Parts: sequence; C-alpha cells; structure tokens
Amino acid sequence: MSKGMTSGRRGGLMLALLLLGACTVPPDTGQPVAPPSASTPAVSNLDFNGPEGSNALRARATAALKGKTIAWVPQALGLPLTEIWTRVMREEAEARGMTFEVRDSNWDATAGLQAVSSLVGERPALMVIHNPNVQIYAKELKRAEEAGIPVIQVNMVSNQKTAAYVGPDWHQVGSMLGEEIIRQCGSGSGKSGKVSIVQGELTSGVSIEQMEGLSASLATDKAIQIVSTQTANWDATKAHDITATVLQQHPDLCATVGFWSTMQAGAAEAVKAAGKQGEVKVYASGGEGKVDCKHVDSGLLTKVLSYDSPSQAKAIIQLASFILQSGVPPENLRVANYSTLRWMEKDHYDPALCYDWAR
Amino acid sequence: MNTGVRYNGALLHGGLLRRLYHRWSLKLLLSELLAKRWMEPAIPFLLMWGLIAYFAAVTPNYASFANASALGRQFADMGFVVMAMGLVVISGGIDLSVGAVFAFANLTALMLLQMFHLPVPVVIVGTLLAGGMVGAINGYLVGYLKSRPFLTTLVTLIILRAVVDLLSQRYSVPLAMGSDRSWLWAYLGRGLALWTVPSNLMMLAVVGLVGHIMLSRSRPGWHLTALGSSRKAARHAGIAVERTLFFTYVMSGLLAAAGGLFYAARLSSTGSDTGAGWEVNALTAVVLGGVSLSGGRGTVARMLIGAVIVFVLVNGLVRMGLPGPMTSTALGALLLVAVGIDMKWAKNRLKTIQKIYLNPTVVELRPAPSTAADSGTPYAENDRLRDSREIGLDCVEGPEDVILDREDRLYCGTRDGLILRFSGPDFSTREVFARIGGRPLGMAFDREDNLIICVGGMGLYGVKPDGTVYKLTDETNRSWFKLNDDARLRLADDLDIAPDGKIYFSEATIRYEMHSWHLDGMEGRANGRMICFDPATGKTQTLIKDICFPNGVCTAHDGQSILFASTWLCSIFRYWIAGPKKGQIETLIDNLPGYPDNINRASDGSYWLAMVGIRSPAFDLAMRNPGFRLRMVKQVPPDEWILPGINNGCVVKFTEQGEVVESLWDPGGRKHATLTSMREHKGKLYLGGLENNRIGCIDLPGADPDWNGCDSYWGKPEVARDL
Repeated sequence: MSKGMTSGRRGGLMLALLLLGACTVPPDTGQPVAPPSASTPAVSNLDFNGPEGSNALRARATAALKGKTIAWVPQALGLPLTEIWTRVMREEAEARGMTFEVRDSNWDATAGLQAVSSLVGERPALMVIHNPNVQIYAKELKRAEEAGIPVIQVNMVSNQKTAAYVGPDWHQVGSMLGEEIIRQCGSGSGKSGKVSIVQGELTSGVSIEQMEGLSASLATDKAIQIVSTQTANWDATKAHDITATVLQQHPDLCATVGFWSTMQAGAAEAVKAAGKQGEVKVYASGGEGKVDCKHVDSGLLTKVLSYDSPSQAKAIIQLASFILQSGVPPENLRVANYSTLRWMEKDHYDPALCYDWAR
Repeated sequence: MNTGVRYNGALLHGGLLRRLYHRWSLKLLLSELLAKRWMEPAIPFLLMWGLIAYFAAVTPNYASFANASALGRQFADMGFVVMAMGLVVISGGIDLSVGAVFAFANLTALMLLQMFHLPVPVVIVGTLLAGGMVGAINGYLVGYLKSRPFLTTLVTLIILRAVVDLLSQRYSVPLAMGSDRSWLWAYLGRGLALWTVPSNLMMLAVVGLVGHIMLSRSRPGWHLTALGSSRKAARHAGIAVERTLFFTYVMSGLLAAAGGLFYAARLSSTGSDTGAGWEVNALTAVVLGGVSLSGGRGTVARMLIGAVIVFVLVNGLVRMGLPGPMTSTALGALLLVAVGIDMKWAKNRLKTIQKIYLNPTVVELRPAPSTAADSGTPYAENDRLRDSREIGLDCVEGPEDVILDREDRLYCGTRDGLILRFSGPDFSTREVFARIGGRPLGMAFDREDNLIICVGGMGLYGVKPDGTVYKLTDETNRSWFKLNDDARLRLADDLDIAPDGKIYFSEATIRYEMHSWHLDGMEGRANGRMICFDPATGKTQTLIKDICFPNGVCTAHDGQSILFASTWLCSIFRYWIAGPKKGQIETLIDNLPGYPDNINRASDGSYWLAMVGIRSPAFDLAMRNPGFRLRMVKQVPPDEWILPGINNGCVVKFTEQGEVVESLWDPGGRKHATLTSMREHKGKLYLGGLENNRIGCIDLPGADPDWNGCDSYWGKPEVARDL
C-alpha cells in the first residue's frame, strides 16, 4: 500500500507543477478582492461560500467531473501494461466521481477504429487513446476534438496531435538505451559491438521515434555494429524467433534491444536457450510492473528502462481532471506530459515500480 | 370482370368458423412462405436484424443517422472482402488470400500515391490490377493446374503477407508519416454519395447489385454456381470449368483489392496487422449468411447479411466494453449456433414444407344422384362403352385428350411429351406428329388448323400442320398478394377457342405439379384459375381466380360463353364471354355423381362430359373432414389413401340448359378407366384416358355422320378459306 501512496504523492506534485504552468496562459482577470474589514480580523474571515471560497472550488470541480465519462481504448487488454493503466485509471477516475469505460480492440486496429469512431458519436467527456499506429485513428481523433471531446494519447502517439500526450519521450528512451549499449558494447568494452534491434509495430509512434533516438545514439560509437533490425510487431514469439536466428548468425552478439519489455522477454528466452544469458545483454523499455521486476530479478532482462505505468495512469486522470475543469477547448491544448524514466537492474530498482495489478 | 368469385362457397355447409378456419389456414401461408427461395437465409436475416435491434436498444445513439453512416463507412471495406470470399466459396473453392490481397492492395495504393505521386485514377487502376494479378495467379493454379484451392490460397496468403511485410519494413514509416492532398482520394475515403451515403458503401452497393445480377441472372454466374454444385456435371454440361474458375479467382482478387483501396483512402494506414485474420472473418460471414461451404448455394445478399452480422456483433461487443477475448468467443459461439441452426434449417425446411404444405379444406357435397343400373336416372350404369374398338392399343400411353382433324386423322398427347397422330384405315398408322415435352393435356384446333395444346408443366403451345411446335404463352399476370409465384403456368389443363380466336384455358392448380395433382384433390382447395390468351395481342390474362380444380373447357355452341368443369366440386360452370351477361359466372350443373373432366361439343347441340372418377360416399365423407384427410396423408402410405374412385369409365351428355340426358359406361373401367376425354367425329365417339394404353372408339347411332369439331367451330373448309 505504501508504494502506491508514494507514487500518488509524486503524481500530485506533477499535476501541481503542470497547473502552475498552465495557469499562466490565461491572463489574470484581476478580480478585486474585498479588503478585510476593520472590525473582524482577517484570520477569522474564512468565507467558504464566497466566489473564491472552497465550496465554490469544490462545486466547480464537481460540476466539471462528477458523472462524466472517460472512455479508454487500449490496443489490447490482458497485458500487464494495459491492465495496470486500466486499473489505476479506473480507480482514479471513480474516486473523482467519473465513469470509466473501456473498449478493448484486442489487437484489431479496425475494431479499435470502430470503437473510436463510435465513441465520437457517443460523446464521452474525454477519450484516452492508445494508438496502434500513427495513422489509423488520426482522422477520428481530429473529428473527436472538433466535436469538443478532448483526447489524451498514451505512449503511442498519432500523427494527429491532440489535447495531451502522456508517455515517454521515445527519442530520449532510444538515446538512453543507446548510451547504455555503448557503455556495455562500445569502444573499449572488449566486446564485439554487435547489436540486434527488435522493433515493435513499425508504424507505431513508439517505434518511429525510438528508432530515431537509438540510431542517432548508436551512431556516435564506431565500434557499434547493428547486425539486425527487425520488427516483431509486439509479439514475444516473433522476437524469440528473430533473436534465435540472429544468435545463430552472430554467436558473438553483444546486445539485443527491444522496444517493449513484454515483447523482448521472447528475445531473452532465445538468449537463455542459446546458453548466453548474462553474456548477451538484453535491453528493453517497459511499464509492466511486477512482471518487469520478475524478468530483471531472474536475469532474463539485463536492464529495463521503466516508464512507471501506474504513475502514467494517474497523470492521465489528473490531466483529464485539469482539462475538464479548465474548459479550454481541446484544440487550444497541445500538452506533452513526458513520463519519468528510471532504470531497473537486478537488485537496483525502486520496489514501487513492481506494481501488481492483479492483487 | 367477375374475378375472385368463390364457387365452392355456395356448396359449403356446416359451421362458418370451421370453414373459415380451413380456408384461411395459417399453415397455408407458412408453407408457401417456407417454399420461397428467399426464405433460405431466413435465420441469418432475422439474426442480423435481431442483433441490430439489440445493439440499438442497449447502445446510446446507436440508431442515429450519424452512427449508421459511420458504421456503413467502416463496414464497406469488409463487405468487399466478404464478397471476394463468397464468390469463390460458391464456386466450390476457398480463397484464404483475401485478407492478404486486401493488405497488399492497401499498401500498393499508398505507395503508388505517396511514393510515386501518381494521379488518383492511375492509383485506382494500378491497385485493382495488383489485386487482379494475385487473383489470376490463384485462378491459374486452381483452374488450369488443378491445385487444391485451400493449399494454393494458403501459400498465396503466406507469400503475399511476406511481401507486404518486406515492403512495410522498407516503406511503411515514410508512408505512415505522409499525407494526401487529392480531392478524389479524399472523396474515396471520406466522401458522401447522394449527400448521405458514404462513398465506399455506395460503391459496395453498386458492386453488390451488379454481382447479384451477374450471379443470379447471367450465364457466367450460373456457370459459377453450377461449378460449385458439381464440377463433374458442369464439365459434362459443356461449361468451361478452367476458365470459369480462373475468372472467379480474378474477381475475388479484384474485390479484395477494391476493399483495400477504400481502406487506404479512408485511413492511409500501413499497420502490419492490416487485413490480418480477415480471411477468417470473411469465411465466418459467408457461412453465417448461409452460403454453403460445399459450394453451389449462395447469393450476394446472403454474403452481405453474414458480413453485417459479423461486423455488427464485433462492433457492438467492443462498444459494450467487453474484453477482447470475450468478443472473439462470442463470435465463435454465434458462428457455431448459426451454423448448427442453418444446417437444421436447410435440411428440414423442405421436409417441413412437405409436412405442412398440404392443407385440406372442407368440401361438402350433397348426396350424389344414384348411378345404379335400375335407378332410372340418366346416370344409370350401363355397358355402352364396353364394346369400344381400340385404337393404338399399347402404342400410346396416357392420351389425356384426343382430337380429330378435317382429314379424319386422330391426335393425342402422351405421358412422354409426344403428340401422336393416327391415320389410315382403322387408324393403323401411328406417327409422332410433334415432340413438345411436358405433359400434353387438352387440345383444340384453331381457325388455321394449328393444334393448340395445354402442356402440363410448360404452358400453352401450338403445333402447325407441318408439325412445327411453337409457344403461345407460359405465364400470366402475377397477382399482387400471393406468396406463391402464380405468374408461371404450372398445370395448364384444357382449353377451347372462342369465335374471336381468344384461347380460354384452365390451370387446374397453382399449388401442385403435374405429378402431384392428386394431392390437390386431397386438399380440395380452390387453387385453380381460368386464363385467357389473346393471339392478336399476345397477352395472357387471368380471368377467374380461386376455382377448385378447373378442368375441361368448352366454348358453347353459340360462342357466347365458356363452359368449364370443376373436378373436386363435381360441377360445371358457365362463364359468359359475350352478350348481356358478359363476365358473369353461372352454375350450370352441380352435384354430378362423378368427377368431371373434359367437356366437348356433341353433334346435336349438346355436350359430352368425361367423368374421370365416380364419387363414393366414403370419399365424400372424407372431403367433409379436413382433419381426417390430413391425418390420412400424414400417417398412411399413399397407396392406402382413400382417393376418388377412378375404376369406372363414364361419359355423360348434357344439354345447353345443363340437363343431363344420358350416360355411357364402362363399368369397372375394363377398357377405359380414368376416362378424361371424348371427341365426337362423324358419327363416332373417340375416348381418351389419362392413364390408358389405348384410344377407344364407339359408334353413335343416330348422330350426324358428317358433323365434326373443326366444322362446328370454324365452318366448312370452303367457308374457312373464304375467311
């Protein structure tokens, strides 16, 4: 319980910062405040019911949030990442009196598209979208915001930018992974410098931006040699097969890096099966809670760059709360809330990252 | 015009409710409904509307125009793919590559547009060509090299997927980041046709309509269906199996590519899961819609019904917030249930029709006049037909009607669809005058000596004196509120020609066929009608509907009216075609002691009437009790049914006023059982019977030895020529 509390407090802090930033946008209206009268001391003049009173604040928040619907379209449920998001978002939303609805497209982008499209017709207060690729929902997202429904995109961003994006700066993720690889496999490490990259869905925002950062970073060291760049479409089995083949072609492989830890676990199994666990470094980014911890503990994954999915979920709902209360039209908002990135390594990680969604 | 008169009404007795119950039987409606071909996909059709209604009820704003439009746009791509699959399934194959072709077309279109910057029309043609090419490869392998469709298209699927993956690895990222500018492209993806309908849905409707007409009304479509039913039989029938198969797969490729094209225009998405698993969805839809997996059975409408079911279900369940695996499970379960029900439906529909098609009604006749030899009635049994001479004994099978021409040659139709002619001394020369097919029944000569014939199962035909067969009509006007298609002539029975050349003919029943006419008797329902064909205009018109088995037809001597017999009501009616009573119907004779068949003119101004069977009190009682008859036909084998006694031969003569004056009998029907026709010619009477192996001939002492039918109708030959 205490882990959850800790991260909750951190999320609140983030929101406060964010609010500070956002509140500077509209100019101060300079509402005159009545000076405290002489007869009563200022300290006892607690007016709960005035226009600036706490009751008014509460009433405004309640009016903006209570009974409102947040609709969430993940690429697929049943994964640690999406289950954590769903669970925490639901808790946070319901705690604010909002209704939380899920539309599971179950890896079917077309079904997801239908879900998004019909949601636009159903007019929830706000939509949280997990884009399978940069293009497929783009026109529907535009339509949603034109209809006045703010959209928050999670992790995988669309070509159509909307009110807010919550997720890692994937360019940075790529860079950090690249730097770590250079440290382990680059010049002076005495290793082969051979790196295999296992991409996710190519047309997903995650892959496109992460690849950019990773390539740029790896290119800084001449010793690094990218021997394979293949796509496993978020599928652990494919990652396994790709990696098994690469290991046969390059038995002296130094590292394999995958764009998602759940997928990369397949690659790690291939490394393990080849008897090279520990010898071939396995890197990934993820937000899979206790599954990531387990993988790191067992040595399957050498290092995981965590984006702390429960905090992301909290940030989403806090952003949603802000957007709904602020009443700013969604097309006037283009907020990016980049997730904090933290390394997880065996015996070196914050236990708070091991969120157990199934508890 | 006095149409729609119900004759048996006057003859019916007993409780009104009971009569109404039997006449307006719900089962009747149901059985005719089930018999319609469009009832085959009834279960999927109901399921479709059920699902739509359900989701409309539980999902807010579902039944709104905006939602319908959005859903329609998303549905269209899938509709194309389902049609691609459906066509191949009807041809007896399967095309597993439809999803891959869809993805390939999607990528091709986006590459042509965004990388090569080709004009949109070129992109459209290029994309369709790409899909057609893949189809052609499939078609060549399956059609000409005779490889198995399942394996072939599975291999195509894998190869094509790999190609798509390779191309995507290379190009999907720049493609995904690109955008389109052309208005035509935008219209394909987002436009509205006729202001309201999404452009791709409109295109799907047009293609579907063309496809439906092709499949159900055109030669290539019939070939395709025939191929699916039985490839061997299709080959034997001369269908170019290879070519038809080839083009089926090409069509499939084109359709899937069209879906991909619209998808590309709509979403510009190159995601690697584009079209993944769509072959399974398409197959599910096709099977759900009631297209037979074994081929040969299915329509475009059914494919699209199935497609709508799958689409609405997946869409609806996702919208209800069901977890993904649950949606898949629900789809699978539904498929299982639907296939199960559909199997039962397809198997049992015809059986059910058979069980409930027969709907006996109440026929109440008064006690029949006595036919006892000593009864003193004009019907008193005698043996005047016993000494008839045989013509064509064992050389003719079932001469339902007989007729003689001016040169004294004798004609009859036979069970095997021939018109035979007997001539020479004692009619010993037998020749086949014409081959019509069907079951030739009543006959008459027209003014030009053409032999006009009612052919059961075909319609009204003519044979010129030189033996050339020509069709007069095989259909009449369709009645509006009848489920059974009554436009087509099923059982044209007997005809006669009025002085103005109009041909009046009876159609005994529109609910039964020639081979099951006796079931109409079991039913006793007014299923027949009188129809008029006018050779001058070529028009066919139903004159009187709802007659109880109208049979023999004869133009009265004065040409002012038509006499017709109603077999199960044992009555003769007169229908006025000229004079002051034109259009009216009168009962001329009722309560005959037997079942009247053909009526023909006699030389003395009266009429001959053949009685195909003699009534018995037992059968009369059975006709009063529909429930009894229903139980009988359901529970007892047909050879033990109570049927009208047809073991007597009897010809009756009646006057213009409807007075029966004499009867000629062959007791026990030794020579002329099932006597259906007689024709007077030059002092002799010729006898035909539906089930007989001969034509009979007896002398008519005292009859005008020169009188013959042709002269009676059309005057002496010189006069006829002057006309």
